[in-house]
Amino acid sequence: MKFYQQSFGYDDPWSIVTLAFFLRYPNPYASHVISCDVVSRSVTPTGSLLTTRLILKRGAMPRWFPKGIISRAETWVVEESEVDPVGRTVKCKTRNLDHVKVMQVEETVVFRSAPGGKTLQLTEARIGSGFGWGLTRRIEAHGLNRFKANVQRSREGVSLILELLRQSRLRPMTLGGAEDATLSVRLPAPPIPTVHQTSTETDTNEQRECPTLKAQNSWSRLKTWLHPPRSD
Amino acid sequence: MADSLSPACTPLKQEYDSCFNVWFEGYLEPALSASATDAQRTAHYQRKAEEFQAKCGKVYAEYQNCIQGAVKQKGIEPLLQQAREEHPLREPPPPLPPKDSN
Repeated sequence: MKFYQQSFGYDDPWSIVTLAFFLRYPNPYASHVISCDVVSRSVTPTGSLLTTRLILKRGAMPRWFPKGIISRAETWVVEESEVDPVGRTVKCKTRNLDHVKVMQVEETVVFRSAPGGKTLQLTEARIGSGFGWGLTRRIEAHGLNRFKANVQRSREGVSLILELLRQSRLRPMTLGGAEDATLSVRLPAPPIPTVHQTSTETDTNEQRECPTLKAQNSWSRLKTWLHPPRSD
Repeated sequence: MADSLSPACTPLKQEYDSCFNVWFEGYLEPALSASATDAQRTAHYQRKAEEFQAKCGKVYAEYQNCIQGAVKQKGIEPLLQQAREEHPLREPPPPLPPKDSN
């Protein structure tokens, strides 16, 4: 069993970080997310919002992993969250539902409101394998490395959504009509354009072409999420 | 908004997500002063829950109807049930009284 713990601070208030966290799929840093569904949601008498989401993620097995054991490199993940708007806290627990014998990853993320309008994120994970065949430790070490890299990507995804939210609030939406007016808003300069510039145009970099495109997409979607066209 | 696990449910999911996200943004805003009493808080979030039900309740019910069927069909239901029983985030709350069931 491997354990991991990390804390991280955002300069934005809790309500915006929480909104960004809930809006984080899709984003260009989460292209491994195939689907995401709410399977249960309710507000408790004390005002907390409880949500269960079922997420399908695409993964890749390491090259050294025995062939033929996992037929498809996809995993169902269940995410249970509680938003406490009075205590200004979000608690979110995630674990994989299948391939649990090969590897079980349990992640807990907590967002807490911090002094000065900031937000603190605490991430904890437990990674365990019951695979055996002399591969248990290797699988756990591999899982931990992947997890560390994913924490970074996941944060970049949330930061990108945060930036988009900030911009959408700075520029009030034009009321009525002029749907495309806000589309002229340029994406912030997250790492994407830099990566794009430094990459030489070879076939091996084709993966890097996608994020810019998708990011624009996610912005236009974000606009629709926050200000859906009126149906009346 | 990511896709639904079942393409047939994706339009409902997106309609629901749009509705939820607008409500959620308002729900997260600190609407009460620090001196608000527990009763005021309870009343405030009761109103929020009712507002959600009134605005998004219908599309939520339709989306759930669609997705629950798809979850059963794909055989994920037992796994999901087991996971939620073994590792609950917290005790399941008493269900909200159905405000407006279609």
